[in-house]
Amino acid sequence: MSATTAEITAPARPSTLRLLLRDVGAAISLVLVLLSILLAVFAPWLAPNDPYDTNLMAIMQPPGGEYWLGTDGQGRDMLSRMLFGLRVTLTMGALSLAIGGSIGVLMGFCAAYYRRLDAVLMRLVDIMLSFPAILFGLAIAAIFGPGVTAVVIALSVATIPLMARIARSTALVVLGLDYIEAARAQGMGDARLIWRHLAPNCLSPILVFATLRFGQVILLGSALSFLGLGAQAPIAELGAMASQGRTFLFFAPHISVIPCAAIFVVVLAFNVLGDSLRDALDPRLRV
Amino acid sequence: MLRHAVQRLMMAVPVMFGVLLVGFLLMQVVPTDPAVVRAGPNASAEIIGQIRSDLGLDQPLPVQFGLYLWRLLQGDLGVSIINNVPVSQELGATIGPTLELMFASLIWSIPLGIAMGTIAAYLRGSWLDRLVMAFSVAGVSVPVFFLGLVLIWFVGFQWQLLPFTGRAGPLWTIEGLRAVALPAITLGGVFVGPIARMTRTAVLDVLGADHVRTARAKGLPEHLVVLRHALRNAMVPVVTLIGLQIGFLLGGAVVTEQVFSWPGVGRLAVGAITSSDFPMAQGTIIVLSMGFIVVNLIVDLLYGVLDPRVRTA
Repeated sequence: MSATTAEITAPARPSTLRLLLRDVGAAISLVLVLLSILLAVFAPWLAPNDPYDTNLMAIMQPPGGEYWLGTDGQGRDMLSRMLFGLRVTLTMGALSLAIGGSIGVLMGFCAAYYRRLDAVLMRLVDIMLSFPAILFGLAIAAIFGPGVTAVVIALSVATIPLMARIARSTALVVLGLDYIEAARAQGMGDARLIWRHLAPNCLSPILVFATLRFGQVILLGSALSFLGLGAQAPIAELGAMASQGRTFLFFAPHISVIPCAAIFVVVLAFNVLGDSLRDALDPRLRV
Repeated sequence: MLRHAVQRLMMAVPVMFGVLLVGFLLMQVVPTDPAVVRAGPNASAEIIGQIRSDLGLDQPLPVQFGLYLWRLLQGDLGVSIINNVPVSQELGATIGPTLELMFASLIWSIPLGIAMGTIAAYLRGSWLDRLVMAFSVAGVSVPVFFLGLVLIWFVGFQWQLLPFTGRAGPLWTIEGLRAVALPAITLGGVFVGPIARMTRTAVLDVLGADHVRTARAKGLPEHLVVLRHALRNAMVPVVTLIGLQIGFLLGGAVVTEQVFSWPGVGRLAVGAITSSDFPMAQGTIIVLSMGFIVVNLIVDLLYGVLDPRVRTA
């Protein structure tokens, strides 16, 4: 058993991380992704002020001075709001990806493993794919009322069919390999086989897709919040902050520009990282 | 060909039915009584009761669903809670501007994206290629509203070049064109990147094909090789992929309409949802979904016409 594994992995292939770091763009995006996650996680400790504390003596302050990134229309510290906003936006994205992604992966694996379910599940996926995320967002906000929950549900639902397709096609390839046959011959049960042998070997395409999808989910989530269908005032969320700043666009553009720029940088970092990950993990996909 | 068309139609029917069912159920879970809404604020209980039985609201749910479909077929989508205007009337007034905005965005972004993608593929590895690719990654990463707000700030406010709120008239008037310019640049702007990227991949595929080598070998001028042999064959995947981006376009349009106060269906839908105008929200979502399904269907059928392999698949 160990001999075969050794044979397969034998030619000294550089690690994924090393491959990734060779590319300057990928290295920068990896740093930015990690930085944004750290900023979001440690926002309560890093933020210099309470993001909800209004100071009517200092409204619409430009960046620089006492408040590094200025203040918004109600005199709230933009830096603190941006850090907390990043936290809400990233959490919204991560939740949607985790919920929609796991359901999607499960559906994809089941479709690939239980061939009888394939047609039914994939038809369901086709139907779900025939609706753009924005329509899910509108419909779910109409049913449950606007809010973070509505956004998370909408984005999860929109992620399911995409992830199911990726998982299914990857699983179909892996299931054709000999070691699956061997595991089956040993009398391994379905659940254990899927968990122990199928899932780990389907990981890289799923990981690549998840990284790219995370950027899209953040973009969609912040757009829904910008429209007023997601995070509601006074919650600090990047899309909602950009929308609130529109009122002051001509006097204090930084109130809108800072959250917009934050979304742009985070999404760009995830997209570049996803592209580079795909190149590093699967050179055949490189174009 | 016919079989492919029939198959696609057969698939669209249950999806449409599903949309209508969800739309119908939406009205069942929301806390408003359509009869009260239609009767108006000063109606007596008697009149409300009369309207209720006229609308069939005292019937069992399946019967109500049938009646709902029947009313829908006649173009009756209910009445807005907020201003008592028929939903169909509001929709009729907003569909035009939305289509106008989409048209004005695509008319420049598709040719530009295809040109950029072709040049990038032809000069693969050059700085120009890298520039196009960087532009396209940035394009899919930028929030639509960011682009819109930046354009409003510079072009509309600082330089005072173009108006940035609302629609001023049909596209064929100078005023109408000026008003649609910034929204169309915004919406088209996020579309150029993906189109350039898809075109680049498709052209790269074709440039390596045998028939392109043959064309070169027989001494055809390089621009003819690219335009006539490479680009033309790359168009099939590009057209399909553009078709698949319609959802993305729709999402962008909803946001763009909001940013520029463009009087379209997206803005109507968002306004209806945030003000809990359920009949209006239901109507707009149904119309947007139906429009999307129909356009998808058309793109699919077109794909079958362009690429014979699809028909047999």
